[in-house]
Amino acid sequence: MIALQVLVSGLGLSGYYALVALGFSLIFATVKVFHVAHGTVFLAGGYLFFFLHRGLGVNLLVAALAGVAVAAALGLLIDKLVYLPVLRRGGGLFSVFIASLGVSLVFEAGYNLLSRNVLQVARTEPLTILTFGAVAIRVLDLFMAGLVAVVFGLAYLWLFRSTAGLEIRALTDNPALAGVVGVNVKRVRNTVFLVASALAGLAGVITAYDTGIVPDTGLRVLFIAVVAVILGGVQNLMLGTLVGSLCLGLLTAFAGLLFPPWVSVAVFLALILLIVVRPKGLFAT
Amino acid sequence: MEYVFFLATVICVWIILSVAANLVVGYTGLMSIGHAAYLAIGAYTAASLNIFLGVNFLIALPIAAVVTAVFAMLTVVPLLKLDTFYFALATMGLNVVVADTIHNAGPRVPGTEGLFGVTLPDLLASSEARLGLALVLAAVCVAAAQWIVTSPYGRSLRALRDREDALRSLGKNPRYFQISIWGVSGFLAGIAGAMYATTLFYIDPTVFALTVSFVLLVYIGVGGLASILGSILGPTLLLAFNEGLRFVGLPSDVAGQTQQFLYGLLLIGLMIFRRQGLVGTYDFKE
Repeated sequence: MIALQVLVSGLGLSGYYALVALGFSLIFATVKVFHVAHGTVFLAGGYLFFFLHRGLGVNLLVAALAGVAVAAALGLLIDKLVYLPVLRRGGGLFSVFIASLGVSLVFEAGYNLLSRNVLQVARTEPLTILTFGAVAIRVLDLFMAGLVAVVFGLAYLWLFRSTAGLEIRALTDNPALAGVVGVNVKRVRNTVFLVASALAGLAGVITAYDTGIVPDTGLRVLFIAVVAVILGGVQNLMLGTLVGSLCLGLLTAFAGLLFPPWVSVAVFLALILLIVVRPKGLFAT
Repeated sequence: MEYVFFLATVICVWIILSVAANLVVGYTGLMSIGHAAYLAIGAYTAASLNIFLGVNFLIALPIAAVVTAVFAMLTVVPLLKLDTFYFALATMGLNVVVADTIHNAGPRVPGTEGLFGVTLPDLLASSEARLGLALVLAAVCVAAAQWIVTSPYGRSLRALRDREDALRSLGKNPRYFQISIWGVSGFLAGIAGAMYATTLFYIDPTVFALTVSFVLLVYIGVGGLASILGSILGPTLLLAFNEGLRFVGLPSDVAGQTQQFLYGLLLIGLMIFRRQGLVGTYDFKE
């Protein structure tokens, strides 16, 4: 059955969205920055991984780790070099959003120059596929599912069972009060950017490995993640993000099957409808 | 020389569009990052009327402007209750939806991805005449916008932007101002779109993609928010600079990325150092 296959693909896609969405919602919930450049960070991990693994023949794992690490550093750098200066000079969160757009443009130009808009796929061998009747599941998808489970599990433990997580949740709730109570807001901010960007980089690496990346992919994946985050409820970091990502994965998979040229329209219509009708998402706290 | 006329005409089109955008972004505080959608409606309406129905361009233009104005007013109404962020996101979404819908289901000359063959009345067949028309339209639009912003209506717009509750306390309805100025902006964008369609000879949805809205943002951001002069300066300086890049000898594909790169830097620089732009008066603390 095609539908079942599409369902499986959709679930596979949601894994990527979930990683990006988790990072984005972490940043958005704690420091309230609409980090459009998250897509840029995603691509940075992917392109570096591609360059190292496919270009220089570096070992897969090493290249992947390098991609994740560089992405994490880039995310932090963007905050320090762009967002904080905007805020320090009297800009508000909307100005930060525009600056984030600027960062996206700058890097997209760079990626365009580097890749000449050719799809870069880092994989050098075909993927193993397991078949269950009429449904084919790729081993990579199973790996993604496992990875997402591990990541979300660790995130849950970190956010809800550790002091650091408590500090982060305090920031999502009331930043001023958190500072008063003694939370090192600067350090938490750095940690959030590092972790979120690492997650985006990881998603970028795997996407580069799986279906490849073009400079467009960053913004596209980002906006799908944004819809997922809003759908799940901006304040709900874990369950909301997961459910939102699942919904978006299924939406894009089925839209891709039924009406491919309209997938973007579907996603953005969903965004507009969500914002207008229920901005708090499904799991409003 | 032909080329200079073409460039000047394009600059006029962008001046009209920048004025349209600045009216809502700079003067009223409605952060629209999807104005290219309205440019598209104007362009496609005028071009379709002219190409498929043989309507004289000078009649198609005002029709396109009205259609765009109505479309703009209709699409903004559900968004007005949103705060800045979500409003901006929704306008971006609208841009993508309009461009993609035109791409998938919009009118096109068979065999191509877009529209071409807009015919002008014989009087306007030359590029000098087109430039003349563009200049006249730009002058009229600029004058109209200047009249609007210096009038009591314009004062209410700025009040709406800065202290909406103060405006309400005077008994004025913000919705009335928001919807009406959005309609004016749509009207101007429609004019710009129609002119754009004839200037470019060939239009397709990529001409109205989301990135075009970002470029528009750079133009009004650099020129200055809440400044009609800024809406003239911004596009003129940046478009001229763009063309200047050509003469530096960059190969054409690199030129595009260089422009994108510079615009990105400009946005960042503007946001950090000078949110009001060159001659703008609105330093948004948002």
